[in-house]
Amino acid sequence: MIERLRRNSELSLILLGAVIVGGAYTLASLGTTASIPANIGPFLAVVVGLFIAAHIAVRRLAPGADGMLLPLAGLLNGIGYVFIARLDKNLAGLQATWTAVGIVAFIVTLAVVRRPRTLERYRYTFLLIGAGLLMLPLVPGVGRTINGAKIWVSLGPVNFQPGEFAKVALAIFFAAYLVERRELLAMASWPHFRPVLPDPKFLGPIILAWGLSLVVMTAEKDLGSSLLFFALFIVMLWVATEKSAYLGVGGVLFAIGAFFSWSTFSHVKDRVTVWTNPWADASDKGFQIIQGWYALAWGGIAGRGLGLGTPTRIPEVQNDFIFAAIGEELGLIGGTAILIAYLLMIGAGLRIAMRAEASFDKLLATGLTTLIGLQTFIIIAGVTRVLPLTGVTLPFVSYGGSSLVANYVLLALLMRISDESHRREMRQGRAGTAVGAPA
Amino acid sequence: MNKQIRRLGIAMIALFTILFAQLNYIQVFHQKTLNDDPRNSRKIVEEFSRPRGRIISADGTVLARSKKSKDQFKFQREYPEKDLFGQVTGYFNFNFGATGLEASYGDELSGQTPEIDIHKLADLFVDNEDVADLTITIRKDVQQAARDALGNQAGSVVALDPRNGSILAFWSNPSFDPNPLSTHAKSASQVKALLEAAPSKPLLPKMYRELFFPGSTFKVVTGSIGVDDGLVTPQQPVYPVKTSYDIDFTNDDLSNFGGEACGGALFDILRVSCNSAFAEMGDKTIGAQRMVEGAERFGFNQRPPIDLPAAASSKFPTEFPKNQGNGPIARASIGQGDTSATPLQMALVAAAIANQGTIMEPHLLAKLTDTDGRTLHSAETKVWKHAIQPAAAETMRQAMLGVVQSGTATRLAIPGFEVGGKTGTAQLGTEPPKSHAWIIGFAGKQGQAPQVAIAVIVESQPGVSEATGGRVAAPIAQAVMAKILQTQG
Repeated sequence: MIERLRRNSELSLILLGAVIVGGAYTLASLGTTASIPANIGPFLAVVVGLFIAAHIAVRRLAPGADGMLLPLAGLLNGIGYVFIARLDKNLAGLQATWTAVGIVAFIVTLAVVRRPRTLERYRYTFLLIGAGLLMLPLVPGVGRTINGAKIWVSLGPVNFQPGEFAKVALAIFFAAYLVERRELLAMASWPHFRPVLPDPKFLGPIILAWGLSLVVMTAEKDLGSSLLFFALFIVMLWVATEKSAYLGVGGVLFAIGAFFSWSTFSHVKDRVTVWTNPWADASDKGFQIIQGWYALAWGGIAGRGLGLGTPTRIPEVQNDFIFAAIGEELGLIGGTAILIAYLLMIGAGLRIAMRAEASFDKLLATGLTTLIGLQTFIIIAGVTRVLPLTGVTLPFVSYGGSSLVANYVLLALLMRISDESHRREMRQGRAGTAVGAPA
Repeated sequence: MNKQIRRLGIAMIALFTILFAQLNYIQVFHQKTLNDDPRNSRKIVEEFSRPRGRIISADGTVLARSKKSKDQFKFQREYPEKDLFGQVTGYFNFNFGATGLEASYGDELSGQTPEIDIHKLADLFVDNEDVADLTITIRKDVQQAARDALGNQAGSVVALDPRNGSILAFWSNPSFDPNPLSTHAKSASQVKALLEAAPSKPLLPKMYRELFFPGSTFKVVTGSIGVDDGLVTPQQPVYPVKTSYDIDFTNDDLSNFGGEACGGALFDILRVSCNSAFAEMGDKTIGAQRMVEGAERFGFNQRPPIDLPAAASSKFPTEFPKNQGNGPIARASIGQGDTSATPLQMALVAAAIANQGTIMEPHLLAKLTDTDGRTLHSAETKVWKHAIQPAAAETMRQAMLGVVQSGTATRLAIPGFEVGGKTGTAQLGTEPPKSHAWIIGFAGKQGQAPQVAIAVIVESQPGVSEATGGRVAAPIAQAVMAKILQTQG
């Protein structure tokens, strides 16, 4: 009963999202070329077709899962596609292909991972996969540096960012690891005889994660991912142990790492200088962030209208700065709508975490949701100069195959956990009825 | 763990609230600063990417229009009449902005006024270019007549309708062709640098932005103040016949042209442009204080409210220290010394006499129309200055008619019309002797209010004779006024 309700609302929300995306696509085309796109029919058919396929897969494979996540992802992905198609026609086809691959990955994940617990068993495999993927760009021959960051891997004709997949693998490992150790880690206390440092056995994992983050940052020059991994681990540690002290320790370690890298690495120093005063070097280092601000200001409250702005002046607008393009053409209203879409997604994710019974499920859902939320925050904060700019993608919206596919896998895992809770509740409900029912 | 997860949710909301607040800061509170930042080219590119209305002469010739271009700005401004209206329309350049009417009516031409906004609402579903066309008060044939009359000589011609302030001819030689200055190519900057380096200053619209000694044409102002204040009548005082006016503390007295002796009452001294008599009138009969007040009633020391950017204000000295004696006020009273005026200002002096002492706001705008030809806005006739009373203006009008009938400005006469005028020769130097030749005047049908007032200056003429203005400048003004009277029927 609930299952059918959820799936039906999911279906109608998907259709509603398709209408919004189709309308936006038409408007963007009207704005840029003053004509209704010739391929609007096929476009809508593909959009609807892909997400209906995902929806049918959910009906069959996880019928009790949360009904909001898939439509929200579809909406964000669709809006992102409209902007990418409007910014650079050549990228649109690729992004569409990657969306299809992402949906396939979503369905495959749902089909393969029938119980979340399966993942828990392979925790060290995931650690290996995660760490390996993270380090892969450093391997000579396959690693490539694009725009200063060594986060790319070339395998034949395919370029991808393994870090995007590593984050999901690591979230799985963290969850499994912390479930195993949470009792122990939760007992950590500040020994009275050594008031300066807590027991190293409790600090070990956190220092390890910290070190890994520093390696990512220094060797791959990927500040955003580094920050994301470390924050993910601290948050999961805190939730697992219920000890706020870990947040403090994490904060201190973060401050030390930040200061160390600021004073040691010129690329970090540059980012911070540009953050504090982009106007000092407006034509070179501060150019991107200032162009982003100009775009946002040009958009104002209501935006210039789809296809009517000039966001192409922002370097990398289809990637890191796609939010500035959205802000220019859809304005504060559109930007806020995107923020709300992410908040709804985060809310759904955290609700799933709270409803899950198994600690692993809970932690994994928390971790995956934190990934989406923090990554979104980090990049939008970077674009709007709340934080120094660190290049990460805007989940589901930015151009990029790795990011898109990884996020669909992440989404499938969240929905798997959601369905698991539902199944458990059903079982308990039936059991309860059976016990309580008058015979 | 649920407690922590709930807190995590609150933290996420807090983080996103920060983002929302920052977006508000950038997109709402800081919006104007960012949009107006000189390094942000969005605003200017937008202005250059939209169509712009045409500028049209009073007789329907297109003076400026936008044609589609293939570069990033989509439109390119062109000026079919080239340098004939260059200093009136100005140019419109992406890098160094706009001048002339392109600058002063920028919002209207690009369709950004409340009146046009209302039309935009009405035209929401019609594919219409929402820009305004600007029709100006100058006819192309009159402007051409001014150009032909001045020929190759450096100088300016300003003609206007004294009854409503409409500018009828506005020409200054040398002028410039706005076309090469309005291209989007880099060559525009080179052309501008070249024109700026030219000593003849072709980019400067001298009609309203350059100050010259008005010379004897200023005697009309001095005389008007005397008559208006009741100190001078056609009969009284009668100034003594002298060759020069005695200046304190110096042997360099203020002499009449050619050392001739002259004197008499108002009409006589104006007819022969008697320096000694007008110097005495300004210095003794009227006095410095009244001279300053009177000159300022004519618009001196103020920016004329013409609808063009950066009009220069003409100067009449306001301080006359006792220790400098009567020299400064005597010289100022005959348009020398520290008195300086734009040709526009001197045309407005003539217009005041022609229009019963009242100066109307000078303007080039006739009307703004939308692309369907509907009038959005018509020029309003506004009073700028009440220079003198109607009776005083009538006396001065008669005096100026006399100058044309039998004085220094006989060449201004147009058969069948009532024409008044006053010549001027502003001495520049003695080695070699050079002067600006001036004429101001008005013309109209017999017994009716004059239809045109004019000022013409021909710069740097050889010689310093008072006849110069009448010989050189008067025929030019005569030709232009005749053309205007002919077009007005």
